[in-house]
Amino acid sequence: MTDTTSPGGTTADGGPDRTGAPDAPASRLSARGLTLAYESRTVVDGLDLDVPDGRVTVVVGPNACGKSTLLRALGRLLRPRRGAVLLDGRELDRVPTRAVARSLGLLPQAPVAPEAITVGNLVARGRQPHQRWWQQWSEADERAVTDAMDSTGVTGLADRAVDELSGGQRQRVWIAMALAQETELLLLDEPTTYLDIAHQVEVLDLVRRLNRERGRTVVMVLHDLNQAARYADHLVAMREGRIVAQGPPGRAVTADLVREVFGLEAVVVPDPVTGGPLVVPGAPASASAAAPATVPVNIRKATP
Amino acid sequence: MTAPDAVGETPREAPGREAPVRPPGYGLVRRGRASFLLHRRSAAVTAALAAALAAAVVASLCLGETATAPTEVVRVLLGLPSPEELVVGTLRLPRVVLGLMVGAALGVAGGLIQTVARNPLASPEIIGVTHGAAALTVGAMTFGLTSYALLPYLSVAGGMLAAALVYVFAWRRGLSAARFVLIGLGFSVALRSLTQLFMTKGDFLAAQQAQVWLTGSLNGRGWEQAGPLGWALLAVLPAVLWCARAQRQAALDDDTATALGVRLGRVRLGLAATGVVLASVATGAAGPVDFVALLSPQIARRLTRTAQIPLLATALLGAFVVTLGDLLARRLLAPVELPVGVLTAAIGAPYLVWLIARGRTGGRP
Repeated sequence: MTDTTSPGGTTADGGPDRTGAPDAPASRLSARGLTLAYESRTVVDGLDLDVPDGRVTVVVGPNACGKSTLLRALGRLLRPRRGAVLLDGRELDRVPTRAVARSLGLLPQAPVAPEAITVGNLVARGRQPHQRWWQQWSEADERAVTDAMDSTGVTGLADRAVDELSGGQRQRVWIAMALAQETELLLLDEPTTYLDIAHQVEVLDLVRRLNRERGRTVVMVLHDLNQAARYADHLVAMREGRIVAQGPPGRAVTADLVREVFGLEAVVVPDPVTGGPLVVPGAPASASAAAPATVPVNIRKATP
Repeated sequence: MTAPDAVGETPREAPGREAPVRPPGYGLVRRGRASFLLHRRSAAVTAALAAALAAAVVASLCLGETATAPTEVVRVLLGLPSPEELVVGTLRLPRVVLGLMVGAALGVAGGLIQTVARNPLASPEIIGVTHGAAALTVGAMTFGLTSYALLPYLSVAGGMLAAALVYVFAWRRGLSAARFVLIGLGFSVALRSLTQLFMTKGDFLAAQQAQVWLTGSLNGRGWEQAGPLGWALLAVLPAVLWCARAQRQAALDDDTATALGVRLGRVRLGLAATGVVLASVATGAAGPVDFVALLSPQIARRLTRTAQIPLLATALLGAFVVTLGDLLARRLLAPVELPVGVLTAAIGAPYLVWLIARGRTGGRP
């Protein structure tokens, strides 16, 4: 392994750091000394990261902490100012983009479908990196698209226009397109944006199923810390362009971390459904006497 | 009772598995490792447009100061001896062929430029080609260029130069579609003022000739324009074939396209360059023919109902509109000839409005 100074580096001894994987899993995708900037504004500064293979990694952090920027760089949508993203040990910039597209899929935050395209045709676009002008629809294409549409439950929508669909359906269609690409690594930039809570859960369950059943490595940026805690195997918390902590949510998510990363007082309790960490904003009643404590009391009075 | 039911159910599931899955609306041809998709509706529309174009060409060759029988026209086209050889083959044919090529080139150019600009209203006029060509040509005319053989080449150079400048100015860490259109518009306005200035400055006769060039006409043009244009189009053909496929990739948003392994910068440059060359050579041969580039791709796409602009159908439609427009321009107020540009707009615009107003799913503006 490379000896990096990253706080979450997967060192062999797996000592006191908050690394997620006790068995130090291999990592096809990693970042070394990654510095990312827009114009003159540096967003991510000297970041090291190993994305554990076969796991769901979720990146969280406050707005403008650089999490989406990091994801864009991992998916070569943004060129590093310094440092590099490595795919199988090779600098991403040096691998032909088409070859990258066969290993690494990415669903951007707000993808735009070509006007009036049907669902079946959009999902089929995911096969792009596998096709040639003389190989427009191979049996492998057929299998991948059928499979992607089945597993996202959009097979019945094949002939519908994408712009007629609801937000939840549309997001599933986009995920189907990314799946049809059949990449081992899948990057998702806030896949739950614009979705109501039921659809958010639906999409996240789908992502986890893909990871569990197909062994896809997933890196996701999520806004909601509780969703991140629930769906991540490996949680990466960022603040001001740096990784503050990473590891399995059970260890990484603490009241200290929430305060450090979001500047928010919170209580971390066991999630009644999963037993994992659940972040409840607000200081405990003993710590702050005023406003927060009175709210639950009022509610309790109103209930009977 | 139960046994027949169970037997009856088994084959019902079978058809679902054997039907090959393919993108909706496409036919599939597989030969060994090679496989090709064919959009069925596009194929039908293309065939219909080809038939309409053939009819327009024959009609255009038949009608003139004297009417010729279609049978004689076909004989001339096939190279058989005919008494109408002179009228059809020598007088009418070059003009019709030129119109065909100009229409097809402008249509495809419009489609490519609209794809790069991500804007159905983009056209060679908006990104500087037309006005660049006009400024240089009119400038040369009014400042006493006497060799009229040079004018088309100047026009081509002017168009390409203006478009290249627009492209360079619109480039900032990649091409932004919005910047491309806005900077193109800025250049176009400036170049149009420059053209006006040349016309006021220059002597009266030259200004009048410039005005004639500016309206775009096939009047008095023939093999001397059609020949070079034909060669130019032949040279661009491989690029156009590449565009037909690349254009599909550029229809996705930047991030998605990049994620799918499309080298977007290269694809956009290729599409834009091909579009600009096509528009420039067509404008050089016939002057600015209005609306063909703007309307043909949109009409064709609404007819085929595809997500991307169908280039072959667009080419045929452009050729059809110009051929029909020129026929009407010649005959409507005969013996007075109208500029073809007036008629192409008059035919194309109402039809496009009707297509959009009819508002099918495939016709969302």
